[in-house]
Parts: sequence; C-alpha cells; structure tokens
Amino acid sequence: MEQEVIDSEMVLPTHLSFKKIQMYEKYPKGQARGRHWKHLKQIIQAENYQNYPADEPNYVNIESPPSMHPRKQICDITGYEAPYSDPRTHLRYANTEVFKVIRSLPNEYVQRYLALRNAAVVLK
Amino acid sequence: MPFISQTERQSDYNLIPSSCPIVIDNGASYFRMGWAGESEPRIIFRNIVQRPRHKITGETVTIVGDHDPALLKYFDCTRSGPRSAFDNDVVFQFEIMEYVLDFAFDRLGADESPINHPILITECACNPVQSRSKMAELLFETYGVPSIAFGVDAAFSYKYNQKLGICDRNGLAICSGFSTSHVIPFINGEPVYEACCRTNVGGYHVTDYLKQLLSLKYPHHMARLTWEKVEDLKMEHCYITLDYASEVRLFQKGGKEAEEKTRCWQLPWTPTPVEEPPSEEEIARKAALREKHGQRLREMAEAKRCSKINELENELKGLEFLIQQLRHVNGNDIPSFLSETGYVSKQEIESAIVKVTQSLRKAKGEQDEIEEKQDPSGTEKYTLIDIPDNLLTPEQIKEKKRQLFLKTTSEGRQRAKQKRFEQELERERRNKEDEQRRLENPEVYMEQLRVKYKELSEKVDQRKKQKTNANNTTETNNGVGRGERLNAAQKERMRLLTTAAFDRGKGEDTFGIKDEDWQLYKKMSKDNDDEDDTPNEDEAELARIGSRLREIDPTFFPKTESAGTEPPRLRPLTQEDFQIVIGVERFRCPEILFRPNLVGIEQAGLDEMAGVSIQRLKSRVERLKEEEEEGITNSVLITGGSCLYNGMSQRLEDGIRMMRPCGTRIRILRASDAVLDTWRGAASFASTMHFSRQAFTKMDYYEKGEDWLRGYQLKYSF
Repeated sequence: MEQEVIDSEMVLPTHLSFKKIQMYEKYPKGQARGRHWKHLKQIIQAENYQNYPADEPNYVNIESPPSMHPRKQICDITGYEAPYSDPRTHLRYANTEVFKVIRSLPNEYVQRYLALRNAAVVLK
Repeated sequence: MPFISQTERQSDYNLIPSSCPIVIDNGASYFRMGWAGESEPRIIFRNIVQRPRHKITGETVTIVGDHDPALLKYFDCTRSGPRSAFDNDVVFQFEIMEYVLDFAFDRLGADESPINHPILITECACNPVQSRSKMAELLFETYGVPSIAFGVDAAFSYKYNQKLGICDRNGLAICSGFSTSHVIPFINGEPVYEACCRTNVGGYHVTDYLKQLLSLKYPHHMARLTWEKVEDLKMEHCYITLDYASEVRLFQKGGKEAEEKTRCWQLPWTPTPVEEPPSEEEIARKAALREKHGQRLREMAEAKRCSKINELENELKGLEFLIQQLRHVNGNDIPSFLSETGYVSKQEIESAIVKVTQSLRKAKGEQDEIEEKQDPSGTEKYTLIDIPDNLLTPEQIKEKKRQLFLKTTSEGRQRAKQKRFEQELERERRNKEDEQRRLENPEVYMEQLRVKYKELSEKVDQRKKQKTNANNTTETNNGVGRGERLNAAQKERMRLLTTAAFDRGKGEDTFGIKDEDWQLYKKMSKDNDDEDDTPNEDEAELARIGSRLREIDPTFFPKTESAGTEPPRLRPLTQEDFQIVIGVERFRCPEILFRPNLVGIEQAGLDEMAGVSIQRLKSRVERLKEEEEEGITNSVLITGGSCLYNGMSQRLEDGIRMMRPCGTRIRILRASDAVLDTWRGAASFASTMHFSRQAFTKMDYYEKGEDWLRGYQLKYSF
C-alpha cells in the first residue's frame, strides 16, 4: 500500500485490540457477505405494533398525517406556479415556452422529472 | 461550511478515568464522539462506510467517513459507493455500524483492553426495539462496554438550550435532520412522545432534489455535480422564502431583483483557441499550389500523349516497311516470311495499318476529320453489298459481311450526328425563346427560373438520396436480406421473380404471344443499378437553369455538393456553457421541508407538523393545563442541520401563527448551535449523577429482556 495512504490512516485495520470479537471472526470470509439485515419495513413489521395499546407512541404512529393545506402545483422544469398539465407526458408546466421544452424532452428525462415527485411510471 | 470532519487520533484515552462515559451522537449524516463533561466532541466524521478494492494488491479495504478524495485514486470505488447504516433514521445495518464504531473508538485512542467506559448513544424518537437491542448487543458483546444509555437527539438539544436559558420548560422542539424531521413537545422539561410527529423529509432530500434538478438542467456537467459539491451549494446558497408563490413570480417576471438573487457557479473553463479564417495570402498560396499541381498533371498528360504518338508512328513505319518488303516476296513464301512477324496475311497487316493510323489520328486529336473523310468515299467502299450471295466466293461473302457491318455503323453514326445537330438547333431555339421572355419581363422570368431551380434541385436530391440509401443497404450485405427495406424498383423485381417462380402450370401458358412479354426478362435481370432517363433529364435541366441563372442573376449561388456532406459546424463553447446558474432552485429545494408533496412525500410540512403536535398534545395527554398549551408556542426551538437556512424562523412563525388562535404569543428560537447542541446536551447529561442511574448493564439487559428495553426511556430532567 502506498506510503501516503498509510500515513493518512484512512484504511481501517482489520484487527483492533480493544474488540472482544474481531470483524473477521464475526463475518468469516467466503461465506455470503455478512448477514441479511432487515430493512426498516421488515423491522416495523416484526415489531407487531398492533399488539400494543394504540395510544402508546411507536415509530409508526408518530408519523405526520397527510398535509391538510391546499396543495399548489409547481412547474416540474422551472419551479414556477403551474396552471397546466401536459396530458401526454403528465408533466406540469407554467407557460408555452416550458411546454415547448417538455415536448422536446426525451422520454428518459420526462421520467426523471416525474420521478422527482414520485410520479414516474415504474415497470416491475 | 459548518460540518468539518475531525478524525485526529486522541492520545489521552488512558488518562481518562473509566467512570467517565463516552458520549456518541449517532446522527444519520454525522457521527460525533467525545467525553462526558467536555464542551466539544473529539471525533466527528460522516457516518458512511466505503469498501473499495485496493488497485494494486486487490484486497478489499474499509474506509470510514470522509477522506481526502485525492487519496481515493489508489482504490477502485466503482463497485461500492458510500454506504450508511441507516434506513431513514433507524440503524439497521449493524455490520456498517460496527465499522463506524471501530473507527471511532480507534480514533478516540482506545487500545488493548475492551472499552471500559459507560456509553451514552443517541437514537431517533421511538426507535424500534429491534434496532435498539441490536445496538446494545453490539456494544456489550463486541466492545465489552459496562453500561449503556439511549437518548433522543432532539431532546438533548432542547435540554441543552433550556440550560442555556434559550427555551422554556414548556415548548416545542422542531428538529430537522438528515433523513427525517421531528416535532417534539416538551412539558415540564420532559419530551412528550405521545404528541410528537415525524415527517420523512430532511437534508438528504433537499440535497438530492437540488442534485437531480441541476443534473437535469445541465446534463453535460453531471460529473461535476457530486453529492459533496451539491451539499456545499445547498448550505451556501439555499434559503427559505416567506411566500414561495410571490418569490417565484419575481423570477418569472425577471428583472433586477431576480438577477440579484441568482447565483452562478463558474466551472473551470479555458477558451478554445479560435480558428482564424485563412488570410488572403494563404488563399493565394493555396491557389498557386493547386495551379502548380494542375500544371504538372497537364505536362504529364502531354508527355504521355507524345510518347504514345511516337510509339504509334513507329509501329506504323514498321508496318509500312513490312508491306513494302512483302511486295518483293513471292506469293508462296509469304506465310513463311510472315510467320516471324506474327501476322498471317497481307490483309491483316493492312487492317492493322488502318487501325494504327486511326488511333494515331485520335491521339493527335484529328478525330473528326476521318469521319468526314470517310463519308464521301462510303459509296465506293461498299462494292459488294448489292451483289447477291450466290454470285460471290466465300471470301467475298466474308468481305460483304464486313462491308455491311461497316455501312450500318457509319450510317448509325451519321444518324446520331444528325440528331445532335437537331438538338443543338432546338436548344438554340429554346434559348432564344428564353431570352425573349426575359426581355419581356425580367423579374417574373427570374423568379420563375428560381422556383424551377429549387424544385428541380429538390427532386434531384431526393432521387440521389433514395439511390444512395438503396446502395447502402445492398452494399452492406451484398444483396437484399430478409426484412430489408427495398426501393420501388427492387420491389417490382422481387415480385416478378417470385411470380415467375410460382406461376407454373396455372391455366394456359400464354407467355410469349405478345412481344412485351419478353421485356420481363430485361426487368428481371436488372438489379438496383437501373437508372431511368428522367433523373438524367432532370439533372441536365437543372444544370441548364443553374447556368442560366448564373448568367443573369448576380446574387445566385448554386448549391454546392460539399455544403451538404460537410458536418454542421459546432458552435464554439463559451464561458456561459460552463456556468451553473442557481435561481429558483435556491428556495425551491428547501421548500420541500414545508411542502414534502413536491417530492412525492404525502406528509405535513414543518409548520403544519407543529400544529399536528399541539393537536395531539390536546387529545392524547390528559390533565394538560391550559397555560401549558398556551405557552408551548412561546418557546419553539429549531435545531438540526436542516434548520440552518436563512428565513427558516420567519417562515415557521408565519406558518404556526396561521394555525394558532389570534393573539397567541409565538417565539421561534434558534438553537445556539443547531448541529452540535445534541452532542453537547448529551455530554452534559452524561456528566451528571442521573446518567449512571439510568444506564443499564449487560446483566440488566439479559435479565430483563427485550420487552423491558422497549419501554426504556431516559428521564432528562433533574
């Protein structure tokens, strides 16, 4: 390894004397890398919050409800207020110039703009 | 920049008594670690792990946190990006968490023995018990820590600011972090989790939104827009508007105010050397060069012609000499005499002489003469033609055939000449007509010519294009493959071939009765190189009109072939092409904290969350005193990295005022240090006696079990 890399000590040593169990003992090489860690969704499911009283705070029931404010729609490209929506691409737009732009956009970009507000077509 | 990594290895680990707790603020973006009772954390780094491969040795190494990007050149990072142990604000990947803790303890100076200090570590509000217990197990089993306490980051921050006298016992903590934002009400100095609320939007979403918007706006500079750079841009330039609609209208209208609010990031750019148009001298030099080349070629051609004439003359002399000699030779000896020369008979030599003289004339450029000379003598030459075959010897018959052939060809030539002459006359007549029309009304005439020229050139172009297209397809795979596109002529040919192949034995065979039937074979045998006469006509007409236009119209420029084939010249890149302009994005991106639906998160924004929290406080908490509810908005603390935007307090105040009864006192308080207050609060908490009473040991944990850990809650007041 290069001297400057060693000097900077950026690489974590594999053996650390203060640990009771070393990393390589816990996750031996050759076996499927690590374990499968439950994602948040799975963790929440395993918590079985439905078995506990509803007024007890938990990770799920402290979430904010949907907004009650009137929602204003903004132009996907410029951020201006968007009174219009393009039926073909489903993008929102502010004026004719932006409309010209969105009609000339390749589909990939349209999908990326839609993905920004979680409205893209997801193929499974 | 408010966030700076700090990973110097500490040397005083062994000097700290083992009773002194280690305080960890385990934030989703930054990890901070230090000693209880101190005012600053010792170790700060980004809470990420990369596991790249070393390029030379090929071993996979672990790199925790941010490091000098220049040193990453020794590693192959293409297969593994930076990874975080967090899903939202909950730790779920404890392998990564272990790397992070390894690095942190190592930098704190730990060595030899297991970690012999109590630990206070932060977690999110209402952390799922699974995450909490895994964390406890990791700390107990792997690091051997004696005891642990878990606390909520926002609560530590609030308590710290309360201690500083910034906020009251009753109040709201609005904490906007990396991946989530919380609003937690405090009553009598204790957080009320029943009434808290969380929206899954934070600094990560703002940076990501900005990054996506900019890379969509500037697809060419995508590589420049790294996460770190965009984060810097966000921290430096983003702000929160009081009213999004009016601010954005300002930009829509344009004008000076919007211009002032627009920021521009100039990427490194060096102007490309400008190509100077060739000077007069250069052009003259090139023309001279070309002329020289032309001259040389002409000279070469001339020399070649001369040598050819010489050669032919020599041959002619030789042949004439042969004939002369032949006169002196006996008739019987002729074959033996000629056997050396390669000729068989006298006639053959004579015809060779005629051939050579003809080609000599041709070479000398006297072509026309011979035809004219031959013409008058034509009738005398064809002596045998009118005599019937039966009166002639076989040799004479042969001669007759030859004469017949010569006659028909010369007649054909004559006819062609006649036709050419007629065409010439016709053209002259047309030119004259044209001239007359032009004289009658020059402008209309010119206009008509132009229109015609345009039409014709389009037509010719189209035809050419079709032809080249057809040629392309045939060129690539020699013939027409399946599914290839054919032009009309090719299609017709294919149809004919297939009908010919399958049209056997169907009814009466009438093929060949009409003469046109035989044309079919002509059509079939022709393949794609068939050129109709029409394009040639068109082209000729086009050339004629072009030359005519050139004569009478000084402004006319014929379309040159080269203009079409030359690739379109690219506009030279200018300084503006390397600018990243951030206008509306400056406030559009942080706006998602107040309106998460802009990025597709259907939850209440920060201001509304405060209202939701107060609502929940009223409905879920019994025995809430009136004045407690009233006073809660009198102390609204904003903390967390995403609260550092300019305009945050104003916007929040406006938002909360809208929801609260008229006349409610609203005070928005900025945390003394929105980023580090959590750690400082935790450190000061850990230094008190309360900590050791609330921390639990490994024994406690295994005796009481997970269910107890679920209910575990730190008491912050003392």
